[in-house]
Amino acid sequence: MSALDELVRNAGALPGPYIEKWKAAGGRVVGYLCSYVPQELLLAAGVLPVRLRAPGCANTMRADIHLSHLNCTMVRACLETVRSGGFEFLDGLVCTNGCDHVRRLYDVLGVTGELPFLYLVTVPHKRGGEAVLDWHAQELARFRTALEEAFGEPITDEGLLEAIGVSNETRSLLGQVYDTRQQDAPPITGAETLQVLLAGFAMPPEPYNRLLRGLLDELGQRQRAPSHRIRLVLAGSGGCDDPAYLDVIEEAGGLIVGDTLCSGSRSFREPVASGGSDPLRDLARAYLERPACANLTDRTAERSELVVQTARACRADGVVYQRMRYCDLWGGQLLHLRPTLQEAGIPLLSLEREYVLGGRGQLITRIEAFIERLEG
Amino acid sequence: MTNQPSALLQVTSILDGYRMAMAGLNSQGLNWAFDCLSDYFDQVSQAADEGRPLAWINFGIPSEILWAMDLVPVVIEVVNGLLAPTPDAIRYIDLAEEVIPDYVCSSNKLYLGAMLAGELPVPAVMLHPAHPCDSNLATYPVMAETFGYPHFCVDMPYVRSEQGLEYVAGELRRMVAFLEEQTGHRLDPDRLRRVMALSGAAHAHALDLAELRRAVPTPYSSLDNLAEYPLMLCLAGTPQLEDYYSKRLTLTREAVARGDSFMAGAEERIRMAWIYGAPAYDLLFFLRLEQEHGAVAVANMNNNFVMQPVSDTSSLDAMLRGLAHKLTLMPMTRECGGPWDQYLGASIDLCRRFKADAAVFAGHMACKGNWAIIKLVKDRIADELGIPTLVLELDLFDPRVLGSESLMNRFEMFIETLLTK
Repeated sequence: MSALDELVRNAGALPGPYIEKWKAAGGRVVGYLCSYVPQELLLAAGVLPVRLRAPGCANTMRADIHLSHLNCTMVRACLETVRSGGFEFLDGLVCTNGCDHVRRLYDVLGVTGELPFLYLVTVPHKRGGEAVLDWHAQELARFRTALEEAFGEPITDEGLLEAIGVSNETRSLLGQVYDTRQQDAPPITGAETLQVLLAGFAMPPEPYNRLLRGLLDELGQRQRAPSHRIRLVLAGSGGCDDPAYLDVIEEAGGLIVGDTLCSGSRSFREPVASGGSDPLRDLARAYLERPACANLTDRTAERSELVVQTARACRADGVVYQRMRYCDLWGGQLLHLRPTLQEAGIPLLSLEREYVLGGRGQLITRIEAFIERLEG
Repeated sequence: MTNQPSALLQVTSILDGYRMAMAGLNSQGLNWAFDCLSDYFDQVSQAADEGRPLAWINFGIPSEILWAMDLVPVVIEVVNGLLAPTPDAIRYIDLAEEVIPDYVCSSNKLYLGAMLAGELPVPAVMLHPAHPCDSNLATYPVMAETFGYPHFCVDMPYVRSEQGLEYVAGELRRMVAFLEEQTGHRLDPDRLRRVMALSGAAHAHALDLAELRRAVPTPYSSLDNLAEYPLMLCLAGTPQLEDYYSKRLTLTREAVARGDSFMAGAEERIRMAWIYGAPAYDLLFFLRLEQEHGAVAVANMNNNFVMQPVSDTSSLDAMLRGLAHKLTLMPMTRECGGPWDQYLGASIDLCRRFKADAAVFAGHMACKGNWAIIKLVKDRIADELGIPTLVLELDLFDPRVLGSESLMNRFEMFIETLLTK
């Protein structure tokens, strides 16, 4: 089996073969939804961090006992999956206050007690300066203590440095995979790249890094005749974890050659720089300073500029900005992004979506119209 | 700026309109409240006309610091709430929806639409806390970047703690430095001390009034309650507010001593605690509830100021710490910006203290955080207090979602159920 095939095999519905193997060996698994959860701390605690997804979960009847139709369908799908037993492999869940939907998921689960370990990492709403960093470092220290108490493993600085090291290796390898997409005829599509990312969210980093190295070898051999009509960058909110959504775009001829998503390049483009003397503070700094989610209030212009820079670096013909319905944060960013892209001469297609792919025909129409506009 | 009428001028007209609509109630307290608000908006308009810096703030920012720095704080939610019943509100909301999604809070859309129309002056600065919600975070900083004015977010820990208070106090210190740099106005600690004394007196009176307002029958109409919310937000630290609360306290003490109801002979049939918001597009709706059904909003989340006066004004640091504490307890910021049990605790306390027969959740559609927990909250209210919660889905600023007649229909069904229990 090729490395790509192995990665795709692990990119389906959770738990996936690697999680099953981890659990069978007595390992513990903690889920998370937001990229501000520092995975390195979970790894240092001896726990496997898994970014949750619930592909195909369109019926959220049990979740909607508590959450409302005005809440994000991704969060509702995850709660539904907890309640239907689809996340039975979890030993815990870590949420953040990154958005109203995820923080309230924490509240609901805290009351109903459906998971054995539940924690909320609070994230500042600005990068600010050293005072904000101090506060966030203290918050991560509290998180570390909670993990140690819950899972019985002391999290030493050495252990944390080791976790940072292996995660940085993942980041570097993913960066190299992304770099292959800058070719005129990229050897890997956007949908395939997403599957590569999804695989990594559901397996330990060591085998993942081995597979990524194998993948890079394969991509070096892969020749694809260019069949796309235009090159696109995908931007916007989280919850974009369905390869079928990208397939629709790419089958219409819009090849996705880059992104600014939290599940994509934003989480790996910059390594965690650690001098070693205070890795926890270095971790706090890295998570605050890397390309930001829309919940950080002092990074609006940077977020828009990141989309411009990414589009230019990827030689994209346009940007597809997808956002989950009821995602205020990324909906608001559009106010600044639209004129910024206009000024940069980069065409924009803004798409609102639900978590589960629906309205496929309308999506195809919108994409095709956008492509025709760009070709015209 | 265009030659179109300024939205601020509309606000003054709306206040006059409310005053006329309520003239028949003969409520001296309400008239005092209108006087305060009218004077306040005159100050705002005058400052705008004279080119003096206007600081837009949101409902979480204590106004004391602004007044002490000779800056006029413009509480954007108060402006939005007063604009909501005007035809322009719909125009502003629709304008905003051309550039941001419809599901963003219409309070934010009102502000954005008015800016897009050129009918609100661009502020010198914008200040807002990190709480209570995504919609504020999604619009205030983005608008500031887009329209090109400086803004400062006072970050707040999600969970309250002593350490967290120090952090917020530090943020206020940084906010002061930001204001000094942006406006050239300096914060004189002695001036702040005088402002804090006035604020403290007002808050002390407000707490005494809250005790008196618990009386059965209530001495306060629904609108009396609601009118105090913008006063405290806009005018904390001013002699006008201290004067209002002082007079109001005397008036209310006398009324309670006599056992007077504000309803003057009519029966107070149902006491309701509004645990979230009020339909700003038709605040006169409360009059109808009172007059047609004897249903009074004896308490609402927005007028639930529970903070003690800041007692330590010995130093700038002490005063900022006190204001940091106030900030964490500001209505909406406290209830909606942290863990759900903050909202639950405040709601149950409100219902219990004011002897409510029912709770009302005026569920603003854009308030996704509260919609995610209302099931938990209403179940707990029922368990602990034995009272029902009317859950309404509407838009507090846009009547097109649920208009007044449909809203009344909901209430009538609920009231009928309550009275037949």
